[in-house]
Amino acid sequence: MSSLNAKNKDAFHELASEKSGSKGPKARLRNCARPMAPGTAVGGCAFDGAKVALQPITDVAHLIHGPLACEGNSWDNRGAASSGPTLWRTSFTTDLTEIDIVMGHSERKLFKAIREIKDGYAPAAIFVYSTCVTAMIGDDIDVVCKRATDEFALPVVPVNAPGFVGSKNLGNKLAGEALLKHVIGTVEPDEPGLCDINILGEFNLSGEFWQVKPLLDKLGIRVRACIPGDARYLQVASAHRSRAAMTVCSTAFVALARKMQERWDIPFFEGSFYGISGTSEALRRIADLLVKKGADPSLLHRTEILVAEEEEKVWKRLEAYRPRLEGKRVLLNTGGVKSWSVVHALMEIGMEIVGTSVKKSTLEDRERVKQTLKEENLLFESMSPRELFSLLLDRKADIMLSGGRTQYIALKAKLPWLDINQERHHAYAGYEGMVQLARQIDLAIHNPMWPQVREPAPWEPALVV
Amino acid sequence: MPQSAEKALDHAPLFCEPEYRQMLAEKKLNFECPHPDQVVSDQREFTQTWEYREKNLGRQALVVNPAKACQPLGAVFAAAGFERTISFVHGSQGCVAYYRSHLSRHFKEPSSVVSSSMTEDAAVFGGLKNMVDGLANTYKLYSPKMIAVSTTCMAEVIGDDLHGFIENAKSEGSVPRDFDVPFAHTPAFVGSHVDGYDSMVKGVLENFWKDAARKEATASINIIPGFDGFCVGNNRELKRLLDLMQVTYMFIQDASDQFDTPSDGKFRMYDGGTSINDVKAALNAEWTLSLQYYNTRKTLDYCRDVGQAATSFHYPLGVEATDEFLMVISEISSREIPEAIRLERGRLIDAMADSQAWLYGKKYAIYGDPDFVYAMARFIMETGGEPTHCLATNGTSAWEDEMKELLASSPFGKNAQVWPGKDLWALRSLLFTEPVDLLIGNSYGKYLERDTGTPLVRLMFPIFDRHHHHRFPLMGYQGGLRLLTAILDKIFDNLDRETMHAGVTDYSYDLTR
Repeated sequence: MSSLNAKNKDAFHELASEKSGSKGPKARLRNCARPMAPGTAVGGCAFDGAKVALQPITDVAHLIHGPLACEGNSWDNRGAASSGPTLWRTSFTTDLTEIDIVMGHSERKLFKAIREIKDGYAPAAIFVYSTCVTAMIGDDIDVVCKRATDEFALPVVPVNAPGFVGSKNLGNKLAGEALLKHVIGTVEPDEPGLCDINILGEFNLSGEFWQVKPLLDKLGIRVRACIPGDARYLQVASAHRSRAAMTVCSTAFVALARKMQERWDIPFFEGSFYGISGTSEALRRIADLLVKKGADPSLLHRTEILVAEEEEKVWKRLEAYRPRLEGKRVLLNTGGVKSWSVVHALMEIGMEIVGTSVKKSTLEDRERVKQTLKEENLLFESMSPRELFSLLLDRKADIMLSGGRTQYIALKAKLPWLDINQERHHAYAGYEGMVQLARQIDLAIHNPMWPQVREPAPWEPALVV
Repeated sequence: MPQSAEKALDHAPLFCEPEYRQMLAEKKLNFECPHPDQVVSDQREFTQTWEYREKNLGRQALVVNPAKACQPLGAVFAAAGFERTISFVHGSQGCVAYYRSHLSRHFKEPSSVVSSSMTEDAAVFGGLKNMVDGLANTYKLYSPKMIAVSTTCMAEVIGDDLHGFIENAKSEGSVPRDFDVPFAHTPAFVGSHVDGYDSMVKGVLENFWKDAARKEATASINIIPGFDGFCVGNNRELKRLLDLMQVTYMFIQDASDQFDTPSDGKFRMYDGGTSINDVKAALNAEWTLSLQYYNTRKTLDYCRDVGQAATSFHYPLGVEATDEFLMVISEISSREIPEAIRLERGRLIDAMADSQAWLYGKKYAIYGDPDFVYAMARFIMETGGEPTHCLATNGTSAWEDEMKELLASSPFGKNAQVWPGKDLWALRSLLFTEPVDLLIGNSYGKYLERDTGTPLVRLMFPIFDRHHHHRFPLMGYQGGLRLLTAILDKIFDNLDRETMHAGVTDYSYDLTR
């Protein structure tokens, strides 16, 4: 337990980002590792975080070692897109029962389960996730995985992130640790190139990353590994030969980026593919890092041309939506990278932000959103459903953008709502995504159904607002 | 890139554009070390054979695609059926996010649950402090009338004593001394959500009944619905029937309003539910009826212990099962079944007769919770269908025996097979080797529908990918009509799809059916 504790501390001891790196160690820990208050409505756990961070690696079998709970309640609930394998969406669990736990059968059962997966599915690799119960009864999944790796000549990767060790965010980081320790650098790519990059913390929700990749293709930049969105094991395993990296969801993988920089000299930056200037900025910085690492300097010029072309196109297309959206008031309830990048994107098309949550955001994310909004009281931490409900009404929001769990709060307040978290069905990344986002907001706000929802029944007196 | 402002494609058509198809194909080539197409298709064929089925069913250590959830989910659902009651799950916090998502995604409603957020410290030193702080915070933040405490695996493995902890928390002033904090131990490594439901309902009853003296039994009937994703439609339908019969009854655990609040500009963290006074008064009822046996075994034992008469059903849907339910109600309440209900029954039978030719001899695979599978198999046989595969991941050997008895009672059950403890990947093999016409289950069945080509009728919790099904009843004669329609629609839609090819199959693309 103590080594896990040390590892957790280490995972949060993040010096990579300029802003949080300048704070003292205590402040850094407080930022991410703050335990949730008992008795409040809460988000996920470390296990959840580790699983969501790795599961989009699509040709891997993800085996949950524990009682049924962790998997039975949650399997296949993320909208990351795969261009091929479906194995990642299949649910594998050891479904431990009381007898297994009392009699100490669980490690043997795990080994057997690994064998059964190998025999039945021949995956590129198996990731084994510990859970609260198996961590507490002391199952050594590292040893079981090691033995299985040797015996089956198949990568079997332990992911040590039982739920009780902390937040979802910590789980993201521990997932990065598992990749670093067992996966990245284990395969040498055939033909490393000067324009190979890694994208870290991009989940390819609804295929978002596919909207960005053609831009990189046009510039001749090859994505060696996008981790985890639509990744293959082989890509991740050879990610150490990339020349540069971008972290999209820094909250999840900035530590991984930093350690890859230390170990393999892969420079990185934190960016976003949301919004027009965000996307352009990201492309420029990727090109810049690659050129500094020896790519042909003409890349910079070509990037500028592409950016100029694409921006012109997208602005023209957005004109259709601008008059319909200008001045509309948005409340954002999301976290991490989206807390600032979506804010920025929406402001670009003239919308007004009446609040944004900064839960699960890094200090740097917070700084960014503060700079963008220039008003600190628009930032809020996660809040209870009732508070969120009041905030929507008090600030006269025209729409709320959030994830599925809070959608019904907006709808009960008779307000339009748009999903921008993992269950969304539209891709908002890149220049294309911006058009899609504007369109979806427009559709949500101007749906003719709203007047009907808001008017009282004809026999009732009019509402006094 | 093919999008334009006038025509912004969403992800479904967008990535079918040629540029993207090529991009995806290249990915496969470069990073998957793909097997030759022939090998892949051979392998796919192999997974459809009896040989693979033997291997698949022989799995011992691995569960693939389970059709069950864990105990605390059941407990959380149970608590939602009581007045102003918030669920407090004692353990690590991630589990709670899953329960909230699960319920929210199915009912399309907010779901509020709190956690004591235990961490490593709590694992070592016990979760008492989390309980003390947690109850205080919950009480302060959400002003509930009752806090229903259940546990996750973690608290169970370290052996936290809920009763003692709650008493301690009360002494420390987390909540007032007389505040109601019923509790249930609900480890996920035992049973499934149906057992968690049982424990929590029993916990609530015990909380109010244990020190109270039972008065002379009143001629009232307690009804416990069990874990039911269709509670919104079902509970209301049953109340309507009971009102028509003028019976005095009390629903114990009624989540129908909580998971179906109107959009009127108010935020209801709690709505409806059995009131605390009613739960107290329910002690004096003469009878307690459970609509689902496997959901309420312990609870019913407890009801008998306090002196009530008790009996249970297996999710009463279809003709015979509804008859049975109403007759039991009629008998114990001495109320007659009114003409209006007799007419309803006649209409259902009429509908079944109208459609019998389309249903007779159809083969089905049914999976889900034990009581539901029992009820569906029974209804299917009433329509002349054959429940070829009956599967419950949380089914026990007792359930297996009961199912076999049911199946033996009808010639349509002759070839049926019962699969307790098996998962949906096992069902995949079953569907390939012994195919059926229709699959009945929850949203997770859509992969089986795709892989095996068996049309899926969604009639079981959870339904994530369709809207509003839970608002319509499955129980009672009206529910029977809805069931019948759902199955027939699937059959006809499918038939249309197969026969619509002009000049090829449209000799059967009929207007009248």
